[in-house]
Amino acid sequence: MEFYSKPGEFDAINYVPHTESHGTKELWKTFWLLLGITILDFVIYFVMGASGVRNVIFILFGLVKAYYIVGAFMHMKSEKVNLALTIIVPVVFVLGLIWVMLYEGDAISKSHTNHSPETHTEVHK
Amino acid sequence: MSNHSEAVFEKQPMWAGGRSPFNVSYGKLMMWIFLLSDAFTFSSLLIQYGAQRFSNVQTAVTTKWPDPASIFNHFPFMHGFHLPLLFVSVMTFILILSSVTMVLAVEAGHRNSKKEVQRYMFYTIIGGVAFLSCQAWEWVTFIHEGARLDGNFFGITKEGYDHLHSVHFGSHFEWDKAIDRTNGPVPFAALFFIVTGFHGFHVFSGVVINVVMYIMTVRGTFERRGHYEMIEKAGLYWHFVDLVWVFVFTFFYLI
Repeated sequence: MEFYSKPGEFDAINYVPHTESHGTKELWKTFWLLLGITILDFVIYFVMGASGVRNVIFILFGLVKAYYIVGAFMHMKSEKVNLALTIIVPVVFVLGLIWVMLYEGDAISKSHTNHSPETHTEVHK
Repeated sequence: MSNHSEAVFEKQPMWAGGRSPFNVSYGKLMMWIFLLSDAFTFSSLLIQYGAQRFSNVQTAVTTKWPDPASIFNHFPFMHGFHLPLLFVSVMTFILILSSVTMVLAVEAGHRNSKKEVQRYMFYTIIGGVAFLSCQAWEWVTFIHEGARLDGNFFGITKEGYDHLHSVHFGSHFEWDKAIDRTNGPVPFAALFFIVTGFHGFHVFSGVVINVVMYIMTVRGTFERRGHYEMIEKAGLYWHFVDLVWVFVFTFFYLI
């Protein structure tokens, strides 16, 4: 399957770097961690009442889980930094969109609730 | 493969050509780029959900945004009991478990152990099918309860919340449909179906990919090729599906 290169030349299409097993210990550790956080999610949901603090905890837990899935299961930790940055940096810009859209949504709900009851129902007809 | 000459390529300057700057195969790099674009797709859907939720106003016709625990409180074979969050936690557990068997298949592939790859791929497929079955059951229950893509009989009145909060976890609970429920915000049900449906479609395609990988492993395609990189690429996709579920779980069920 040498379509693009002569023998001895770098074959960009078929190039596959050599990989080695790093054992299963870290993978199982990650599994127990993910399971533990999910159980903690479940417990916190019932122990704490609904509040902003609880939501922040859930989002932080979600980010921790994401870090371990991408880092350990998808082997991002052992990839070159160049590749990791190529994938992760664009995602950071999504945070700006989240902030803007939530702000706009909140503004819409405020502008509706500030109307008098008559106009209020009319807005939603 | 040209593993013996890898060291020669490594000595080339990083961006001068004639080597892979990221030291990954072409296919794996493209899988990462695809997953990045897919991450944007799911972000846009989840951001839609956030914006709709923040802009929702209680009106004369609809209630405020429903509390997820009051809606996803069913469990198979436990009809009529108030068990919020339990079923979806089981689903999360299934997906995490199938992620582990997937990564074990990748690890076995690094050791060129065909038998183990085969076994773990089989477990992963079972996990994927189990998750899809759970989701199908949840959709059926939710539709049966009155949720539609273009409507949502899932507004919960103040009386409904009082009724709900009067029961404990695991005790018997039945909605009094005339008093407890009214029309709820349409985007709640619509986005639930769109986002979990889109995620479920990803799980489905992941299962199909894994079945193909399983067949290729059994037939010895990768053994002849000398490496199990295709398992790694399929694994990346499968873990991404798990990653998306982490955020769907957080934003649709927990918050």
